[in-house]
Amino acid sequence: MTQRVDWWVSLLQAFVVINIVMGGFAYLTLAERKVMGRMQLRYGPNRVGPYGLLQPIADLVKLLHKESFRPAAAIDWLYLLGPFLAAFTALATFSVIPFGPGWEIAGVYVPGQVADLDIALILIFAIGSIGAYGFIVGGWASDSKYALLGAMRTCAQLVSYEVALALSVLGVVIMAGSLSLTEIVAAQADSTWYVLPQIVGFLVFLLAGTAETSRAPFDLPEAEQELVAGYHTEYGGMRFGLYSMAEYINLITLSGLCVTLFLGGWHGIGFTPDWLAPAWFVAKVAVLLYVFIWMRTTLPRLRYDQLMRFGWKVLLPVATLNAVVTAILVVAL
Amino acid sequence: MLSNWLPFLFYALFAAAIPASMIALSFLLPKRPVARTRQKLLPFESGVSEGPPDRERRFTISFYLTAILFILFDIEVVFLYPLAVRLEELGWFGVGELAVFIGILAVAFVYVWRKGALRWS
Repeated sequence: MTQRVDWWVSLLQAFVVINIVMGGFAYLTLAERKVMGRMQLRYGPNRVGPYGLLQPIADLVKLLHKESFRPAAAIDWLYLLGPFLAAFTALATFSVIPFGPGWEIAGVYVPGQVADLDIALILIFAIGSIGAYGFIVGGWASDSKYALLGAMRTCAQLVSYEVALALSVLGVVIMAGSLSLTEIVAAQADSTWYVLPQIVGFLVFLLAGTAETSRAPFDLPEAEQELVAGYHTEYGGMRFGLYSMAEYINLITLSGLCVTLFLGGWHGIGFTPDWLAPAWFVAKVAVLLYVFIWMRTTLPRLRYDQLMRFGWKVLLPVATLNAVVTAILVVAL
Repeated sequence: MLSNWLPFLFYALFAAAIPASMIALSFLLPKRPVARTRQKLLPFESGVSEGPPDRERRFTISFYLTAILFILFDIEVVFLYPLAVRLEELGWFGVGELAVFIGILAVAFVYVWRKGALRWS
């Protein structure tokens, strides 16, 4: 299983994968606007290119050419560090998610993920936690009332749901007996997809994950009606674009992680040829992303006290119970 | 084992290069001269013209409580992970340890709940 990987293969693969993730992000923004448009009985973007397919590129060019100003009271380097940290941590986590079994191409071994680490799961949570700094640093450095309030809310929400998120995965770790994502995928191929025995964990993960990526109905950090735009009120142009990028890429990574932990990873239903594995992975991620968009158009936003109560008083106990029950069942059976 | 981290390092370098280059481009690309009127440089405030900087603003105690509780519970979760990995080998002994650990956690949780630290009003 653990074959030697040449360094230049890793370098090339890292470059290709990060570009695919960036492309995925660009077209996720378009897909979201299209799907939301259709669900609200309108067309969504359809002017730039056929079916609006060039819209993300137009958006990027527009954002890059926007006037770059910042409030005079903002702390300059922290103000720029905020979006950088958010985008960097969002991008970096995808590296450990496996999307295939590994291939032998022209005598060169290409692994099924960029980095196969023993502690991949811990790494994802660790880097994700650093991502919270991106939001609070940016919101604090802007020195605006709304940005500061938004940053405080974001932070409290992120840390509250992180506990539930980490606990919901515990059942999977107990069943697979490993923190390595490749081994968790392999363990699911041997038994069954963990969404069946870990249905409670799956649901808690999905809900806590929605809150972690601040998606509706948990999009309190950027509740337009109360906070203007939340932590990125004072950001414009590409600095705002980076925050938006961080949010969408976090969503992609979260969906990828969910697929890896609960939905069998890159394994398809029945026999999957090796070359088809990434297609299965992408298809499952796409379905999950569609569910997230669907949720956004369907559910109204929670109130902040409801949000905190739900995280601490519902998700946390449920996730803990799920872990204990899983532990007892795994040892007993 | 350590060589497994090299691909991650490559990837992290790209992940850092993308936002860094975008921030750099946001300085280089805009052609229009930056108009620096006083009103524009003020932080956003709809209708109200200006106020003192609010970086020292005080916040609801609930935010601090949440942060402290997060540290408590998240560290407990971190302790649970190594146990979870080895649980099948440890068998009932492991489950017992898990039960004791989560039992103590549950007592603390009930205490925090009854004290109203989780209540936002």
